[in-house]
Amino acid sequence: MDILAHLPHRAPLLLVDRLLEREPGLRVVAEKLVTADEPYLLDHPAGGAQVPGPLLLEMLAQAGGFLEAETLHGASIFLAGVRDARFHAPAVPGDRLRLEVAAEGAFAGLMRLQCAATCEGRDLCTATLLVKRL
Amino acid sequence: MSDLKLRVKEMIIERLKLEGLTPDQIEDQAPLFGEGLGLDSIDALELVLGIEQVFGVKIEDEAAGMRAFKSVQALTDFIAEHAKA
Repeated sequence: MDILAHLPHRAPLLLVDRLLEREPGLRVVAEKLVTADEPYLLDHPAGGAQVPGPLLLEMLAQAGGFLEAETLHGASIFLAGVRDARFHAPAVPGDRLRLEVAAEGAFAGLMRLQCAATCEGRDLCTATLLVKRL
Repeated sequence: MSDLKLRVKEMIIERLKLEGLTPDQIEDQAPLFGEGLGLDSIDALELVLGIEQVFGVKIEDEAAGMRAFKSVQALTDFIAEHAKA
């Protein structure tokens, strides 16, 4: 899967490195390696370099973009809502994040996703996301 | 109020977190979207999933949704019509 051909996002806001598993319309597992030179790691209010929570949600939403069978190039997928986001542990430089997204249902162009970010079995974040394709 | 209509209203309140609202405050004929309860497209998706999980009835497309979401009465009728016996 050519990630650049599928998602419209570009550095530094392209937040998916690799696809591990993909069943279009059902489930996606993607990977993101957090590296020390990424600009969003700076100035985190909690102190120390870590991925801000909203960007973990953005990573999961971008992974959700691969649920679509065709390329998103030229179209846009928007994060339309966040339900029950829970942050269990920080994601820090060197972490290889596993982004798991399962489609729960869709109606009128909106899709609800059950999402989890983990690192080597460590739970980092769980969330229910709503995304819309325009 | 019929038992099914009450359960539909309770599902709407629970799924959409309409705290402070009781089933008898939702009018049977009031539109769910726009005027009436004032729900939006995200609420519509929540309801579609709730109806499937609670009542086992699928709303397959927007045309079916347009019909089912006209009012609580229309939604109750839709569920009664499509629920497995």
